[in-house]
Amino acid sequence: MEHGAIFGWTMLWIIFWGIVGGIVTPRVYERRNLDVSQARLGGTAIGAATGPIGLIPLWVFSPTLSSRWITAAGLLIVAILAVAFARADPNNLCVTNGGFVASQLTNGIVIGIIYSLMALGLTLIYSILGVVSFAHGEFYMIGGMVVYYMSVSALFENANPLVWLLGAAVVTFLMGVAFERMFLRVMNTGQIERPKEYAILVTFGLAFFLQYATQALVGANPVKTQRFFPFPNLDIPSQESAWLIKTTSGNIRLFDAVSIPNPRFTAAAIAVILLLMLMWFLYKTWTGKALRAVSQDQQAAAVAGINPNTMNTLAFGMGAMLAGLSGATLVQVFAWLPQVGIPASARAFVIIVLGGMGSLPGAFLGGLLVGLVEAAGTGCIPDTTRAAAYIPAYGMVILTLTLLLKPTGFFGREL
Amino acid sequence: MNLNRMGGWVVGTLGVIALLVAPVWLTNSPYLMHLAITSFFYAILASSWSLLAGYAGQFSFGHMAFMAIGAYSAALMGYYVRFTTAATNLCRELSLGGIWIVLLNPQGVTQTNTPNCLEMAKATMPVGAIIMQPPVWAGLLAGILMGALFGFLVGSLVLRLRSTYLALFTIGFSEILRAVISAEIDITQGQSGLKMSPLFPGGISLFGMEFGAAAKVPPYYAMLLLFLISMAIMGWLASSRFGLFIRAIREDEEAAAALGVHVVRYKVLVFVVTATIAAAAGVIQGHYIGIITPNILIILQMSLVIAMAVIGGLESLVSAAIGAIIIEFMLELLRNSFDIGPFSVDMTTWRLVFFGALLMLTLRFRRNGLIHPLITWFSRRNVGQETVANRAAAAAAPDA
Repeated sequence: MEHGAIFGWTMLWIIFWGIVGGIVTPRVYERRNLDVSQARLGGTAIGAATGPIGLIPLWVFSPTLSSRWITAAGLLIVAILAVAFARADPNNLCVTNGGFVASQLTNGIVIGIIYSLMALGLTLIYSILGVVSFAHGEFYMIGGMVVYYMSVSALFENANPLVWLLGAAVVTFLMGVAFERMFLRVMNTGQIERPKEYAILVTFGLAFFLQYATQALVGANPVKTQRFFPFPNLDIPSQESAWLIKTTSGNIRLFDAVSIPNPRFTAAAIAVILLLMLMWFLYKTWTGKALRAVSQDQQAAAVAGINPNTMNTLAFGMGAMLAGLSGATLVQVFAWLPQVGIPASARAFVIIVLGGMGSLPGAFLGGLLVGLVEAAGTGCIPDTTRAAAYIPAYGMVILTLTLLLKPTGFFGREL
Repeated sequence: MNLNRMGGWVVGTLGVIALLVAPVWLTNSPYLMHLAITSFFYAILASSWSLLAGYAGQFSFGHMAFMAIGAYSAALMGYYVRFTTAATNLCRELSLGGIWIVLLNPQGVTQTNTPNCLEMAKATMPVGAIIMQPPVWAGLLAGILMGALFGFLVGSLVLRLRSTYLALFTIGFSEILRAVISAEIDITQGQSGLKMSPLFPGGISLFGMEFGAAAKVPPYYAMLLLFLISMAIMGWLASSRFGLFIRAIREDEEAAAALGVHVVRYKVLVFVVTATIAAAAGVIQGHYIGIITPNILIILQMSLVIAMAVIGGLESLVSAAIGAIIIEFMLELLRNSFDIGPFSVDMTTWRLVFFGALLMLTLRFRRNGLIHPLITWFSRRNVGQETVANRAAAAAAPDA
């Protein structure tokens, strides 16, 4: 960075006024007997965005803080940071090259869709069992491993990649079901004291077990599959001026600016299809409606003739399957190791906390946002080694901020 | 004092004496000494985690982060702080009654052209000025203070968070710390780690014997001492009102608050106490091993501590500590790979699989752990007979 100081001081200014707003505003609202539920988040956002200019009127007039104000303040913070970044580092590709920015954003959304798929599984489990599965990343890892080992096995080598995906889905679903039956079923029978803490530890133990069991079985060498489906060659509108779409077998190029690699595109396309299927299942079939009913009120659902135990098992199996499927689509994008599950599950935690635990639209939105933040982080930060090391940390900063300022996330229910 | 309690004291005292004299036999085997030191290290961590999770019900996955904070504070102090008797006028420094505490500038790993300010200042400093590395106890003090500070910060941040949210937050805290340490290569040297001086750089004489800096006996006693001190502190806390209050918070926070327990104070306190103990263990272990890297923060390490505490017995400090010692020895004993017919079994990985499975099965079927029931069985086996005898005596003399 040429003028790193500009960016650093802007950050400090934002953080300082954010903390001031976050601490003082709830006190002010409490003293005036106003609704304090949004005061901490609102105070922080407005403080960070406008500094004393916005905070003093806020404290004097103390208006009702609507989500719209907070969103506006949040966007303003992003804009200020972007301007400060552009001033600090005017030669950065993210500032000078619009095509590069568009490419990064598109790739962020593309990868975000797959993150959403995984986080949807986690949020589904949480909404029905009330448990965060710390082994979610391990199901993701196993999904990818199953696809890889099917793709190199003599039996399935020449099968359609969709068969591999099906195999991953079946394996992870059955593992999820078996684990739920053996270890989580007892939570509802009253045999276990403090079931929530039990669930945290037992899923943590499962993660530990699965990760090293996989490593013991297949070794710790990175593996990667070929791309599932090569693109057909397309040049639209014509071969001479293919400004709209131009594809080679490994890449797609839109508007001469946005370039998406084939594996990511295929993975995202599969993820979109799976998301649509999941929505259809949850909203149109009896079983899906029963699942949602249990997530709203377990006892009322039981009264209506829905067996909560069956739904718990189904939900955990489906959650594990969604994680496995997102891993299965991504094994053609990233090198696969028994340890890939750890950052993936950390990311899924960030997404569901950000979106609101147990909220399906929240998980989707959160996934896209995290994808975008990661793309911006990798593309724009000048020091590439440092950027790569910090990417998991950004997510964790988001997680920490959400937990401190608005633990219910975007669409979460009250705690 | 009844017989059972006395038996407990006798067994405990014998155990401590056995640990104190063990080096007499172990001293010929540096490997076993190393194993013993490491197992005390894990015992400190597992028992302090059991105070946090088992007694207070705060299931934190960030315990290794506190340990790392302690170790890194001491290591960074050894790298970047010097005590001198004269001002350098080049470095950032603080005068303290004739002694200057000098803060060196990081020289970096990638570009080594940043000059060391102290080296440059030597030319201008008066002849005979003494430049001293901070002693080990100063690093220990710094590590403990930083551990307490971060315990306080994390403890006050997680006050409102319950079970799952707390677990997510602390896992996040630990991962952020690991990312920062790995990324700030110029200061922490990233994955290559920071070297730490031996615990007793000039050697030490114990019981009339001289031990060099690399000897295993002094670190054995240092770690054992820390283990015993921390067990004594935590045991005293757990059996005092503090222990009662944190268990009340574990069972029901609102009810505890309604009965007059200062929930905020005790939650923060339990984080400060356990973080401090973990940090102290980190400092001693770092000095003993001689190097500290961000890999001590990987999830596996936290998983091992959890497995030790849970398999030993989460709701008892002594059980967690004994569990840690036994598991650390078993982990080493199970290290040898072997072949079954054409298959070679890589035990370095399979032993972890075994402990993962054991962790899950213990949680599922033996919530009190595997060691704790044994302890209660030994300490309470006569209670039934005594009660029967007392009742019989009471029935024989109803007017007594």
